[in-house]
Amino acid sequence: MSQRFFELIRPDHNFDFVGKTKPLLLSSAALVLLSLLLLPVNMFLPGRGHALNFAIDFRGGTEMRVDFTRAVEPAAIREAMESGGFRDSEVVPLPEFKNSYLVRFPAVSALQPNQIARVEEGFRQKLGADSLRKFESSEGGDKAYVRLLKGKAFEPSQVEEILRGAGVTVSQVQRFGRPEDNTFEVVLVGLEKEVRTALDATLGQGAVASIPSVGSVGAKAGKELRDNGIISLLAAIGFIMLYILVRFDFRYGPGTVVALLHDALLVLGAFALTYKEFSLATIAAILTVIGYSMNDTIVVFDRIRENAGKMRDKKFPQIVNISVNETLSRTILTSATVFFVTLAMNIWGSGVIRDFAFAMNVGVIVGTYSSIFIASPILIWLNEKSLQTQKKPRTQRSSSSPV
Amino acid sequence: MERSFYYRVTAYSFITLLSVMILLPSVADWTHTAHRLPEWYTKMFSRKIALGLDLQGGLHLVYEVQVDKAVSDKADRLAAQIEEKLAKDRKVKGAHVSREGDGAESRLRVTFQNKADARKLDRAFEREFAKYLTRESDNGQTGETVFKMDADYVDELRGYAVSQGVETIKNRVDKLGVAEPIVQRKQNDIVVELAGLSQADFQRVKTMIGKTAQLEFKMVDDGAEYMQRLSAYAESKKTQYPGLEVGFDYWQQKDNGQQHTDVYLKSKDKSVMERFLKDLPSELAVPNDHQILFEQISRDEDDDKTPDKPWRSYYLHRRAELTGEYLTDAEMNFDQTTNRPEVGITFDSEGASLFEKASGANIGRKMAIILDEKISSAPTIEGRIGGGRARITMGGYSDKVQQEAKDLVAVLKAGALPAPLRKTFETQVGASLGPEAVSKARTSMVIGTLAVVIFMLIYYRASGIIADVAMVFNVIYLLSIMALIQATLTLPGIAAVVLTVGMAVDANIIFYERIREELRGGKTPRQAVENGFGRALWTVVDAHVTNLVAGVVLYSYGTGPIRGFAVSLIAGIVCNLFTSVWLSRVMFDYMVLRNKKRATMSI
Repeated sequence: MSQRFFELIRPDHNFDFVGKTKPLLLSSAALVLLSLLLLPVNMFLPGRGHALNFAIDFRGGTEMRVDFTRAVEPAAIREAMESGGFRDSEVVPLPEFKNSYLVRFPAVSALQPNQIARVEEGFRQKLGADSLRKFESSEGGDKAYVRLLKGKAFEPSQVEEILRGAGVTVSQVQRFGRPEDNTFEVVLVGLEKEVRTALDATLGQGAVASIPSVGSVGAKAGKELRDNGIISLLAAIGFIMLYILVRFDFRYGPGTVVALLHDALLVLGAFALTYKEFSLATIAAILTVIGYSMNDTIVVFDRIRENAGKMRDKKFPQIVNISVNETLSRTILTSATVFFVTLAMNIWGSGVIRDFAFAMNVGVIVGTYSSIFIASPILIWLNEKSLQTQKKPRTQRSSSSPV
Repeated sequence: MERSFYYRVTAYSFITLLSVMILLPSVADWTHTAHRLPEWYTKMFSRKIALGLDLQGGLHLVYEVQVDKAVSDKADRLAAQIEEKLAKDRKVKGAHVSREGDGAESRLRVTFQNKADARKLDRAFEREFAKYLTRESDNGQTGETVFKMDADYVDELRGYAVSQGVETIKNRVDKLGVAEPIVQRKQNDIVVELAGLSQADFQRVKTMIGKTAQLEFKMVDDGAEYMQRLSAYAESKKTQYPGLEVGFDYWQQKDNGQQHTDVYLKSKDKSVMERFLKDLPSELAVPNDHQILFEQISRDEDDDKTPDKPWRSYYLHRRAELTGEYLTDAEMNFDQTTNRPEVGITFDSEGASLFEKASGANIGRKMAIILDEKISSAPTIEGRIGGGRARITMGGYSDKVQQEAKDLVAVLKAGALPAPLRKTFETQVGASLGPEAVSKARTSMVIGTLAVVIFMLIYYRASGIIADVAMVFNVIYLLSIMALIQATLTLPGIAAVVLTVGMAVDANIIFYERIREELRGGKTPRQAVENGFGRALWTVVDAHVTNLVAGVVLYSYGTGPIRGFAVSLIAGIVCNLFTSVWLSRVMFDYMVLRNKKRATMSI
């Protein structure tokens, strides 16, 4: 007696997947190409300007979440930042919070380049024309050094006063080196304060409710993080391919890797298209997509291998088609459950969780697709190639044997 | 039913019970019900899941030690020293030393106004700097000599710069009074994580950590009448300041046998003493020309049972005899006769004369070595020390004493040549952000989980229940593993936990579909379960391994919250494998064995 089950896909279905691959492969290739093309296009689109909406993780700079007490236009915020000396700032609304914006700008130090001249002028005016030997500050540094004329006594408080007078938010000034060196170390960590002052000055006192989070990354660290991200993606792909080679054989490897690259590039494309923030968390999401999209491919490949052993009378493309059909329901179901969960995160989550879920949403869809329509055709193609190379020596041998 | 079935049920029940017990303190923490747990319990299961900075608010800072700048700085110092020495010892007028190049490529070019003076820069003169510099070229005609930094010394300097940076930052972070601060070295970077700080403190903390270290030498005013009065007052207030003690110190002057006595305050908890001093009545206030600082006393060598080292106070003259700028170097040596470790300090010529004066005037007294207001050591001056070289002998031979000597060297070097730190990475999260994000994450988690649970129930009926139960166990195991390894739960980590929920039923689906296939092929439920689990096992393992690879790669390259994500993901994958392959199997066996006669099963 046979049993009935609740089924979305009937077990006796037989779709012809293998026969339809060519147009799908072509459209996939087109999509991947489009994704890659979007990157340079984005750089020239007004309002975008970067290949991807890189978070400060990758390009250095400062990112602040600023909550306002009232509704403010992003353009007005940008202008207020500009007039406060923060050049090239970007303002991204955070729709999940009220009157909340992500403000991003290249500066990481409380000392703006345009303040340096004012500081130097301040010393000349207050302490005498030749009082300042040198004002040392490195771009993006959180410290500056003031070297004053030797042979006269100066106090840290005098230095602090002059710096403050020039509009620099100073948190501490201390003597550096020997007393007679007249050198002072200035610690600059007042970036939030300066941003708040700049915004309040233009948008009206009390416009800023709070700055609940601040992140800043030096340019060099940003480059390191980006390189690490790329290395980790390559390493993950390499290791997964290695595992597939060990567990299956060489014919199965390339198909999985192409599928995997396809998935990763399309997720990248989705980020290029929507211009959602691309951060370290996105790299993590892409890595997860890579690991997860392999699941479906493995389910299909496992079945192909099993069937190839059983159905010796059938041709390989046919075996692949049967296997894809047999595993279709589980491929779809497993992806569906993960899709539900990540969709819920995308809709109701916030911040990092949301971006992560978006990447997973795209990744699960393209991953399921690629395991059927990309990994399998490549497997068939490679199988044929390997059969050809195996046949050739055999025919040679048969022709030369009866001598 | 079979015997192995009962064994398995017992084993899994035990594992589950243990997991719940491990997890309980963490859950109690999150729900603010920790006080309801008995003390023995929290002691026994003390491991908890820590909340990441993005969840509880706090400051994450990464400082880069600019090792090349440290080398350049030292080269500048050496240039000044050579100029000074040529002028003083060799009476050369108008010698000029300039640095060219940076870092390890630094070169010192010595030029003379009067070419004939070049002879005075002879081998004997050079020997003094042999450790730091090697002569690269000299030109007899122009009188120019070029030195380059010694390669070994550059390596040493770089190594010291980083450990100095760590030492300096640790020292400051300890002063903040933040619970469980983290200061970690990662190659040339120093990672600082401070949780639970209020937003108002961020700026103060960053200022404190960012400034350059200050090394000072100050004299201890032993036997002062003020300390007698203060200790008497402390004795009377002991009940108000639990843990506050008064200690006595005796030592004998080596040259004439004169006795020195001193009283001091002592406590395991430094903050008790600080509070005591803050609350002092005005007639007992510390005199303006003095100050009280603390030193953490090292314990006797064999007393390792009590890990917390007590603190003691020193009553100091406020005026510093010397500061770090007069030091040129410090190193650890071993005394040639006793073989005890000792710390050697070298002063520049100005420092040498200051130190000679200070030591001569204070023979028999103690001199405190202070880095950033914390006393590192307070050795006794045994005699007038001239020549710009001082030795601090350590009180023992053990590894611990050697370590102390090394630490002291790091402190002294930090003062002599501050490690240039540069902040490269910063994240600060207000304390209110975490709960906001967590509540949103919770909503999405509940909805996502419910969707999966209902879907499995509809699609697989009774077997769906098994998958759902396994999923719940999965989350329990996952969290308890995280508690066990004291992992940090971050916002991306929560995403990983939610993802685990989605993936938890995946393996079940793969098994179930296989079982259905077997049933369709006419197998009995028992055979179908047997075959289904057996044949799909490798598929499930393969799928998990690829996920694991991604997780491990993520862990090894990621930082901060991303690492938290990787940890949750890896633990989730391992638990997934366990619950789907073994735990669900037990439940299946129960379902099948109970209805042996039925030809169908609910799947």
